[in-house]
Amino acid sequence: MRGDQANRLNNGGLIDRSAPLNFRFDGKTFSGFRGDTLASALVANGVKLVGRSFKYHRPRGILTAGSEEPNALVELRSGARREANTKATTAELYEGLEAASQNRWPSLNFDVMSVNQLFAPIFVAGFYYKTFMWPAKFWEAIYEPAIRRAAGLGRAAQVPDPDHYEKAWAHCDVVIAGSGPAGLAAALAAGRSGARVILCEEDFVLGGRLLADGGTIDGLPAAEWVARTLAELLAMPDVRIMTRTTLFGVYDGGTYGAIERVNDHLPTPPEHQVRQRLWRIVAKRSIVAAGSIERPIVFAGNDTPGVMMASAMRNYINRYAAVPARRIALFTNNEDGWRTAETAIAAGLQVAAVIDARPDVSPAHRSLASKGGFPVLHGSVAGVDGGKAGVRKISVSLTGGARAEVEADGLAVSGGWNPAVGLTSYHRGRPKWRDDIAAFVPDGAPPGMVAAGAANGAFGLGACLREGFEAGAAAARDAGRSGSTGSMPIADDAAFSLTPLWHVAGKGKAFVDQQHDVTASDVELAQREGFESVEHLKRYTTLGMATDQGKTSNVAGLAIMAAVTGKSIPETGTTIYRPPYVPVAIGAFAGHHRDENFHATRLTPSHHWAAEQGAIFVDTGLWKRAQWYPRAGEKDWLESVTREVKAVRSGVGFCDVSTLGKIDVHGRDAGTFLDRVYINAFSSLAVGKARYGLMLREDGIVYDDGTTSRLAEDHYFLTTTTAKAGLVMQHLEFCRQVLFPELDVQLTSVSDQWAQFSIAGPKTRDLLKEIVDPAEDLSNEGFPFMGAREVKLRGGLKARLFRISFSGEMAFEISVPARYGEAMARNLMIAGKPFGVTPYGTEALGVMRIEKGHVAGPELNGTTTAADLGLGKMMSTKKDFIGRVMAGREALVAPDRQVVVGIKPTDKARRLRSGAHIIPKGETPGPDNDQGYVTSVCFSPVVDQWIGLGLVERGRERIGEIVRAHDPLRGEDYDVELCNSVFYDPDGGRQRG
Amino acid sequence: MADFSWDVRSPLDRTLVAGPYGVQGDAGVALTEIRNFDLVQVMARRGKASEMAQTAQARFGVAAPETPKAVGASDATLIWSGPDQFFMLSKGGKHSIEALAPVFAGSASLSDQSHARALINVSGEKARTMLAKLSSIDLHPDVFGVGAAAATSMDHTSVTLWRGTDRNGQVVFNLLVFATFAQSLWHTILDSAAEYGVTIGHSEDLA
Repeated sequence: MRGDQANRLNNGGLIDRSAPLNFRFDGKTFSGFRGDTLASALVANGVKLVGRSFKYHRPRGILTAGSEEPNALVELRSGARREANTKATTAELYEGLEAASQNRWPSLNFDVMSVNQLFAPIFVAGFYYKTFMWPAKFWEAIYEPAIRRAAGLGRAAQVPDPDHYEKAWAHCDVVIAGSGPAGLAAALAAGRSGARVILCEEDFVLGGRLLADGGTIDGLPAAEWVARTLAELLAMPDVRIMTRTTLFGVYDGGTYGAIERVNDHLPTPPEHQVRQRLWRIVAKRSIVAAGSIERPIVFAGNDTPGVMMASAMRNYINRYAAVPARRIALFTNNEDGWRTAETAIAAGLQVAAVIDARPDVSPAHRSLASKGGFPVLHGSVAGVDGGKAGVRKISVSLTGGARAEVEADGLAVSGGWNPAVGLTSYHRGRPKWRDDIAAFVPDGAPPGMVAAGAANGAFGLGACLREGFEAGAAAARDAGRSGSTGSMPIADDAAFSLTPLWHVAGKGKAFVDQQHDVTASDVELAQREGFESVEHLKRYTTLGMATDQGKTSNVAGLAIMAAVTGKSIPETGTTIYRPPYVPVAIGAFAGHHRDENFHATRLTPSHHWAAEQGAIFVDTGLWKRAQWYPRAGEKDWLESVTREVKAVRSGVGFCDVSTLGKIDVHGRDAGTFLDRVYINAFSSLAVGKARYGLMLREDGIVYDDGTTSRLAEDHYFLTTTTAKAGLVMQHLEFCRQVLFPELDVQLTSVSDQWAQFSIAGPKTRDLLKEIVDPAEDLSNEGFPFMGAREVKLRGGLKARLFRISFSGEMAFEISVPARYGEAMARNLMIAGKPFGVTPYGTEALGVMRIEKGHVAGPELNGTTTAADLGLGKMMSTKKDFIGRVMAGREALVAPDRQVVVGIKPTDKARRLRSGAHIIPKGETPGPDNDQGYVTSVCFSPVVDQWIGLGLVERGRERIGEIVRAHDPLRGEDYDVELCNSVFYDPDGGRQRG
Repeated sequence: MADFSWDVRSPLDRTLVAGPYGVQGDAGVALTEIRNFDLVQVMARRGKASEMAQTAQARFGVAAPETPKAVGASDATLIWSGPDQFFMLSKGGKHSIEALAPVFAGSASLSDQSHARALINVSGEKARTMLAKLSSIDLHPDVFGVGAAAATSMDHTSVTLWRGTDRNGQVVFNLLVFATFAQSLWHTILDSAAEYGVTIGHSEDLA
């Protein structure tokens, strides 16, 4: 290995020799230039061995120069930014780049696991199904960990990614995938027509194959034409050129997925910038100009470092001025492969021989060979002699049976070209076979999409330009753009002649899928064992299932299967194509939505005040709610919560209940509407009064509950539970718009408009008198239980006051417009100071509602009826309402249903736990004897023990019975008494007083 | 008797830090919270849509929007919010729900939303580019012209978005977001805008 770019040509290439860059590969320092990829820089430094293979740990080199690369996968970067399985062929070089080879130990050069090759016979296709079946329990403990250690590729970073990702939308008339000749011509035609165009290019430079293969367009050298075209496109305001961006998928309604590698070419993203951005592009039309991928020929030793795709070799020599080998042999079955010989000669390299599988070679190439002084061998490569240091000798089996040997340090291979049919096939499309180019081409495409150029099987430069230009013009026209397209770029088409050749029989391992170590004999074995269908072949051998998704291997694999089954290739068929076209980081799909931004957060109007008080917050849905307010010296949450409960029950406290859903129901028929959606009547509710309501689903099960107040003849103010706020709004809108469109009803969510506080405790009225205008009558007569009306506060602000109680205490709820919410909390503290006012959180709220036997989420759990909750009597018999009929079904009125009942342990010191199952005394716990479970628990300061609510079979008929609470989850089993669910103030005197 | 002060705090009051944010230099995005406004939801009573529209026309001199549009009157903006309904946005105290109630009595139901939303003004050279990270709506000037409006979502949060009159030759977008979501969305906006440089401010006045 030499670290001095000894394999760099002195001239040429699209690299910036004035910008040298240092990088490290496996700890060794090298240099390259700006414009290099990691792979091209390694080539320039003479590095041939870059990785070890998946199963056999065979030495591997660089095979391609693009995103189809199966071998040259590295761990890029280090620490938390370490990224496994990064393709060296697409990783842009930057100063200080660090990369490490994968799947080797202790070093790439000496890898102990290469001993696996000796056991190759047991690692054949499906080996894990066959070899590791017995004993079954060994699989998880021994086999799987061992296989995973031996196989597999790079290591994940195992720590959170410190970089940021985001998502964005883009809209256009025409999106184009690829900026080769077809893509550029398409962009020109569409852009000139006035269309909004997005051109996505995976590479960091535009041009596609033009960058490596050049050519003449409109009489200009390709590079000049690209520069001129780019300038013209950049001058168009509605043409957007996105480099480092792969269009990876097509979705419904003309939506495309693209991944932009915004800052992958830098060591770390600049401050405030993301590493990658996921684009959702909405386009009226799309043009797939993604080109084609040169395919290997499968022969023994075809994975030896130094064996490289012929076109990739041209990339390295022409684009990067990096020389993969000094003495190159070429193995081709088509005309295009010869370009590599031409390139090698032009670069001053030696051509050892051209092995051409076709019966004839053109006179031009014959004369090239004689001028270059190298032989043209008719036949095919039967084997490669070499190892981790690279190719040494190539054995050729000549047409007619003779053999020959060629000494070379590099072997370029061309088996023809496969159009990139991914995007066109993602909506379950199946490409069709074309005999003349021996390749699959798109057969239709998702709506709005066409393929052009090499992606469509048009391999000539002139044809690429023509197809691209025509597709661009048509797409713009279809999108309603009618500007002049100007003249079409013109170039000659090179001849394309190919004799199909997939596999050369020979001695030694011949790899089809190099990334997954699938050999030609694995494919044959799969066929012998009955896995003939291509989908079975894929799963059984894992052919095409690696991160490269078989871009270089799939067609060869199914061609070999076709040969052994005696079918044609189109009869054998292709596997289903699925996005993404290249691997996309999960981080990009998550985008902004991670950590504290995983979902949106809702804050109550008094949130910042509660935070100042040191409140502990709990996530309830999207909300942050104050759970309790710890005070200095309190040893745990229970002590704080118990203090809050006692303070309310003996004095006064308040709690922000703004999270309840709040809906304005307006209209002449508002009362009728509510009669239909609640089980009880609301049209009869007097103005100035509130009523508790219960809502059923259509199937008769309880949906939601809450209080609704009548503020005017045609205006009700409805509240929902916190959890169901959005769903109830949707449900009511559905009722309004679809079920009862004849009613005059208008609904508006006012959940965010009002800050609402519950003020509870015997001293509530004392506190309110401090803050409410003295003219307001708050006496039991002037403001009775379930009263609701607007009041004036001291200072003139208007508020809504509701005399409702969830705690069982004398209580009011007060609402003010939300921007006064924080001031309200502060003022309640001031007004209540003489009475020892105590803010309380959701835990104390929960304790008090359980003590009072009020049902909440754990009881309104989607399985209970109104009767189960003890609210059956609320069901009106005088009117129809949603859920009425279905609630009368046999099973929903069965006498042995599980109903809400109070539960308390017989041992007063014992803690009751939610989820414990209720089993009759003396019975064996199990499904047959399971009579229900504990739904809600709390430590009750009033009862001075743990209490709870439960759903228990015939519970209300069994008050006083001792049963078992069986809790296998926590390994507990104890006696509990079934009791009245109202533990506190059963006659309700306190809340009415 | 205790002294009570009724401080008004906008949903972003505790979060918004006026001044520059993100990349230094010329700010590509300007974010301004508008704090003093009345916002009233106006919804036609059943069969009274045309009566409601006539009332709006008579009172404000403009037709109530029947498609996703924001229509400017001399001292109010009428923003479409659904079939037969719109928002009436005005400078605080100008067209409060109390003032509008007699006007629309019989033809529409009114619901006060003045405290239910935060109003954010987004402008600057990179405003559209930044909003593309949050909104699925095509904001190209040919598609989303002055006065275009949308009831849509950003970052899984419901918003009302409309394009105001250009200011100093620059496009202005307005965002109404639910008050309890405002701080959360604000942080998302800042994260999205930071790379362009941001000028943050607040104003009592509608633009």
